[in-house]
Amino acid sequence: MKKECVAMLLAGGQGSRLYVLTGDMAKPAVPFGGKFRIIDFPLSNCTNSGIDTVGVLTQYRPLELNSYIGNGQPWELDRIQGGVHILPPYQSATGAMWYRGTANAIYQNIGFVDLYNPDYVAILSGDHIYKMDYSLMLQHHKETGADCTISVMEVPWDEASRFGIMNVNDQDTIVEFEEKPKNPKSNLASMGIYIFTWQKLRAYLIADEADKNSVNDFGKNIIPDMLAAGEKLVAYRFEGYWKDVGTLDSLWDANMDMLLPGSGLNLLDKNWPIYSRTYSCPPAFVGPESDVGNSAIAKGCNVDGEVKNSVLSVGATVKRGAQVAYSVLMPGAVVEEGAVVQYAIVGEKCSIGKNARVGAPPESVENPDDWGIAVLGPETQVVEGEVVPAKQMLDRTHQGVKA
Amino acid sequence: MKGMHGIIFSYEKKTGLRELIEHRVHGSIPIGGNYRVVDFMLSNMVNAGVRDVGVIMHGKCQSMLDHLGTGKSWDLSRNYGGLTLLPAFAYSESSGASAKFRGKMEALTGVLDYLEDDIRQDYVVMADSDLVANLPLDDVLQDHMASGADITAVCTSVLGDTSDTYFELDETGRVVDTSYEVAVPQGYRSLNIFIMSKELLVHLTRHCKAHGLYSWRCNVLQDMGKKLQIRAYVWDGYAARINTIQRYYERSMELLRPDIRSELFCPERPIFAKENDSCSSYIDPSGACVNSLIADGCDIQGSVKNSILFRGVQVEKGAQVDGCILFKGTVVKKDAVLHSVIADKYVTIQEGRTLMGHEHYPMVLARGSEV
Repeated sequence: MKKECVAMLLAGGQGSRLYVLTGDMAKPAVPFGGKFRIIDFPLSNCTNSGIDTVGVLTQYRPLELNSYIGNGQPWELDRIQGGVHILPPYQSATGAMWYRGTANAIYQNIGFVDLYNPDYVAILSGDHIYKMDYSLMLQHHKETGADCTISVMEVPWDEASRFGIMNVNDQDTIVEFEEKPKNPKSNLASMGIYIFTWQKLRAYLIADEADKNSVNDFGKNIIPDMLAAGEKLVAYRFEGYWKDVGTLDSLWDANMDMLLPGSGLNLLDKNWPIYSRTYSCPPAFVGPESDVGNSAIAKGCNVDGEVKNSVLSVGATVKRGAQVAYSVLMPGAVVEEGAVVQYAIVGEKCSIGKNARVGAPPESVENPDDWGIAVLGPETQVVEGEVVPAKQMLDRTHQGVKA
Repeated sequence: MKGMHGIIFSYEKKTGLRELIEHRVHGSIPIGGNYRVVDFMLSNMVNAGVRDVGVIMHGKCQSMLDHLGTGKSWDLSRNYGGLTLLPAFAYSESSGASAKFRGKMEALTGVLDYLEDDIRQDYVVMADSDLVANLPLDDVLQDHMASGADITAVCTSVLGDTSDTYFELDETGRVVDTSYEVAVPQGYRSLNIFIMSKELLVHLTRHCKAHGLYSWRCNVLQDMGKKLQIRAYVWDGYAARINTIQRYYERSMELLRPDIRSELFCPERPIFAKENDSCSSYIDPSGACVNSLIADGCDIQGSVKNSILFRGVQVEKGAQVDGCILFKGTVVKKDAVLHSVIADKYVTIQEGRTLMGHEHYPMVLARGSEV
């Protein structure tokens, strides 16, 4: 059955810069903001934008992600025609190949896209937190008659050299693409969100695959090739909240943005709901002696201690006398009595023993380079009285040492 | 087929729930911040391995229909069986649209075809939709099969008030007398959960239909009590029947106790509710929130104490909420003060208003009202 636009969601990356958080799961499956996982954002954007056919390309540690997506029902992607499809690398008569790059991953699934004979294909990332109406971007793509539309946003000039920068003419047609330029000529950064006219992209994917020197990457190969060949590439300016949460700092920042009324990450927004797979549990309980301020509390939480400027995910527990500040507690994390957690990301089902300390405020360290948020991977046990200093990372192989 | 079939009665009854049932039947009253009363019985059944459930409904069932949907929330959306909604269409045709069921047997008579044709299981568990409890129905079935009883009735030794039904048991656990509207509660309080074979249920329904009998309590439990072997299954856990405003308020407030929550929401028998896509609740730096249950999607900037907040409640700066139950979408504007208030869905309390109920007589604000 023909679809106007199919979305392909790149979710196979390891997310190595999230270190212990992605030891067992792909980056898009990492919990975010109390009730969500990162992949809920692009999936919900698809549903809210009227795209009902989504291929999710997985490769690294897919179990958590596969079971989370399931039949796609939470995102209304359990459609009779279309819906969400998990697309792992596969074996064929000529051999088996891992996905060698973002372009190669789509190349290997040309057959899937062709099933729906779409006019357009949206290429999305599974590690961005943002709310975006792809239907407006698609409209822009059609109106400008582009072969490829790249979503861009203005970034501060002093940060522009960290991004892929699009140099455009006065029509916002892209004339040059520079990956992390030392002296940027523009501050329009690519958000890694593309809409292609499918038949064009299809041809470039096939040509790219034949090129032995290519690393089969959209940013490094496909986009430069199309520019060089004189295809029409257009920038689509996005204004709103967008964050790549590929690093621990940005993941922590994005969680904290939820607590800032002016950040643009308004999750109470009813017009653009973010869907997630959630399980039944009782409402959050804030106890008689608790003290909670500027924090997001999800259902199933039990708070008897002090929680300030923090995000508590589903089923997290903070016991009496414990303090949690500027931290993210992922689902099911337990902070025992008297423990102190500051500037930390605490993974799923971690337990922090009585009177233990995890993380420290920036002012506690003399040299700012020695400071960073403390991170505990899923199911890490911190024993009674143990101290986990700022910037430290631990995973579940950690054997607790009492201080 | 082995196992049990579930039947839940959800029709209008005479209760003291006033405004809370203006737009709904008792089973769809919101409770505990995240649930409707009927969620408990549905979850009890599902957790006991029941996969087919019929809900007999009548009267203001729109809210119930909306809540149940396809039954997906309880895993009861199946290709075959699963959740079956049984509105009283056939019954209304013969008795007039405004007629009410006079009793369970009358309700069952109206769905006799369903009982005969669509129950695949050997046993049937029947229950009311107004009971808040988490109990092991699979264990009740085991007990029923082992004892050889005709009917097993679940009851508790924790006495209630005079509006409940009471059983008198002999030393073997057989029910020898059933009474209701008694002067002084004594014996065992019925939780109105009954297990029997499908065969017996169909037989009893046909019998009552043929004789114009309509009451389960009078015409079956009392009149046939000598002929049938009716045995008790005593279960003394938390069990709240929601039938008056006062009881609703007291039983809701009990949920703030950790011991009761851990019993009612025990992890081995989860209570399933219709899920939603609200994000977490936000508690502002100036907000003070203690000893309260907070569902998702709330925005709390004022003070909230000893209260239960459903989804999407807003408490603005300077507002004080104490001992209240605020249903979905309630908005408490700046500096308003609320004590012992039950606010139905989408109530707005304007800036600076003061509303005082008493814990023995909570004030109820009807759905959508603006104060």
